[in-house]
Amino acid sequence: MTQEIWITGAGGVLPGAIGREQISARLFEGSSMASPIERFDATRWRAHTAAVIRDFKAREFVPVAKLRRMNELSKMAVAATRMALDDRGWEPGHWPRTETGVALGTMFGPVRTSVEYMDAYLQHGPALAPPQLFAESVANAPGSHIAIEYGFEGFNLTCTQREISFTTALLQATLQLRRGAVRRAIVCGVDEMNEIVFEVLARAGSLAHDDGDGEAMRPFDRRANGFVVGEGALSLLVESEPGPAPLARVAGVGIARDSSATVHDWGTGSGSVARACRRALETAGVAVGDVSAVYASANGRPKVDQLEARAITELFDVAPPVVAPKAVFGEYAGASAVPLAAAALSIASQRLMPSAGFEVPCSDLSFEPVTEARDVDLRHVLVITTSAGGGVVAVVLSRP
Amino acid sequence: MNRNRNQSDRIVITGIGAISALGRDTGALWQRLMESADGITPFDRYPEKFPTDIAAQVPDSSLDDLPRRSSRRLSRSDRLAIVAAIEAVEMAGGAEALPLEGLVVCSGTSTGGLAEGEEYYLERRSGRPVAVSGVLQQPTSGPSDAVASWFGAGGGVFSNATACASAAAAIGVAADLIETGLANAAIAGGTDALCRLTYSGFNVLQAVDPRPCRPFDAERAGITLGEGAGFLVLERESDVIARGGRILAVLSGWGASCDAHHPTAPAEDGRGAEAAMRLALGEADLSADDIDYVNAHGTGTPLNDSAESLAIGRVTGGRPPVSSSKSFFGHTLGASGGIEAVVSVLAILNAAAPPTLRLSTVLDEGEGIDFVPGRSRQMPIDVVISNSFGFGGSNVSLVLERYEERSA
Repeated sequence: MTQEIWITGAGGVLPGAIGREQISARLFEGSSMASPIERFDATRWRAHTAAVIRDFKAREFVPVAKLRRMNELSKMAVAATRMALDDRGWEPGHWPRTETGVALGTMFGPVRTSVEYMDAYLQHGPALAPPQLFAESVANAPGSHIAIEYGFEGFNLTCTQREISFTTALLQATLQLRRGAVRRAIVCGVDEMNEIVFEVLARAGSLAHDDGDGEAMRPFDRRANGFVVGEGALSLLVESEPGPAPLARVAGVGIARDSSATVHDWGTGSGSVARACRRALETAGVAVGDVSAVYASANGRPKVDQLEARAITELFDVAPPVVAPKAVFGEYAGASAVPLAAAALSIASQRLMPSAGFEVPCSDLSFEPVTEARDVDLRHVLVITTSAGGGVVAVVLSRP
Repeated sequence: MNRNRNQSDRIVITGIGAISALGRDTGALWQRLMESADGITPFDRYPEKFPTDIAAQVPDSSLDDLPRRSSRRLSRSDRLAIVAAIEAVEMAGGAEALPLEGLVVCSGTSTGGLAEGEEYYLERRSGRPVAVSGVLQQPTSGPSDAVASWFGAGGGVFSNATACASAAAAIGVAADLIETGLANAAIAGGTDALCRLTYSGFNVLQAVDPRPCRPFDAERAGITLGEGAGFLVLERESDVIARGGRILAVLSGWGASCDAHHPTAPAEDGRGAEAAMRLALGEADLSADDIDYVNAHGTGTPLNDSAESLAIGRVTGGRPPVSSSKSFFGHTLGASGGIEAVVSVLAILNAAAPPTLRLSTVLDEGEGIDFVPGRSRQMPIDVVISNSFGFGGSNVSLVLERYEERSA
């Protein structure tokens, strides 16, 4: 990446946190927002908790007349984007319409809308299902609503690459900025917790459950046995100019895939994770020894966390502070945007976050994840994101 | 804005592959296009009665020769993608000729494993036991993951789900990843399988023509749904020359824009489509005068075809021949940009513009545009612009060029 790209605004609708200030506060507190599921009956599964949004009022951000055309994903994405724009000091008409693009990331997309459509299809027949539901059943509907609401006529593309959906969206935005197609872009990650998603993950054995230590998401922890599902939208504004108060600079990106991964699962080789990290550092022009901290993808699945831990060990002679922030809002919150956003917020405040859920290191961990927030000199932060299917995106964020 | 692609080391196409209602490879695809023989047949995949009853379907037998052990858990979209990608990779010299560690897979889809997700949901709703393995592929990243896994790609995976612009966007992003050095080669394109939700959904939107679609015709009444996959192998020109590979064409530019107008309908004035075409031409460092053929999005819906005609007219002045391949293999949604990019490469290689079927009276907004109705037109083609537009007003245009070696 030869052109500098800046993160200039942040906003979100996440469990227990609306807007940049609350999101930042929750991350620095390091407490999980998970609670027992009330949205549907989860008693038949071993997992019973999720981090869900309870206090979001979309009408505070979107005119009521427009809300009728949006599903929950679109409402959250439009609201999160409004907050990111407000964080930057944006006003309608502020920028030429063609100079702003939208990159959306979502892992599951509109599963609940598709289910509602199929329910109507089965009840009324294929000819009488509601067209409005069909319109919202496409994965790029939230990105389209963002563009319509704020008048953004630059590129509008949606990435759906499992747990790296947000960082692939960020990469897509940086490619467009780098080429000068737009001057700024909203990068929004959005996902929602619903019964079908929870059921499939529970049946696949992915979710944290109570084996005697309570049900919790515990990244890099010896007691870890899965993750907690989260939800919500998180938007970042990225620009080719720093603006008045940038949070961080996107200095480098690296990608790779673990060729030992199956279609459904992570692979066994940590080399691809390390390779993506080295590539990100190389494009950023940052030496391994100059990395101030690592913000990790770890989500409490032992196999996944071990893979990442091995990559960190491979990369560093002595690992810098490692933060695993996903447990605060759960996996898939903001399409798993949390490590990247947390790193940007950390750089902006020059303060490390704790690794929520971590207490007892797993047996072969060669570094000690950060457990308490503390002030530090954060120049360059390496953000690692990995996904089932073997995808890896590593990003280097630097102090503006 | 400076958006000219790096012309010193061009992004070139070394393999193409496609499966559609016209056949399971590019040979069959081109032959049927030249014969003016479409692939639209009665739609009988599901027992339910839909308001319309035709589609451009891929026969199940076209997917039978994939090894069962490695494909049995894959969705239909995944398997379509693999068939097309295999052809493209073999044409590029085989996987062994490609830099696997730097090989990225970029796939676009609008439905991914939705057809299998529907089966899971229907079984679950009926109370019958159903295996979870059947739905694990539903995420729209499935095709990228499946193709990457098939070839052992280690460079990365990147899935795009921007409705009917998905595959074209995936191809553009792949080119950018190679150009920036983040990848060394790419398998890029798109795939989509027919399913209940889309077949019903476009019907309830009243966007499906009960008869085979008639793009750009004054009497057009909507789309014909289709399924399939189309993939390209992209590499740096210098790498292909170094390995002695064969170059088919150049991907010289792409552009993306948004109408910011309506969740499903395009802006009536075609401004977003025009912007995408102009961005792509600008990146290719070409002018409208350089365009020899436009492979249009041309869905057959009243709104798309009128808006796109206005955009094409403003960008090109109507001079270059224009056609819609969807009149042959239907609207393959997230796959359309991939299959139509393949058609565009074939048009360059074979010096012929495929026609639009069932176009008898040109729509008012297309007055002055040189449409190619009924029969293909033999003509030299150096530059093609291929349009893909999706729900939400997301527009992507690709510019493809004849490859000519540069003098030293």
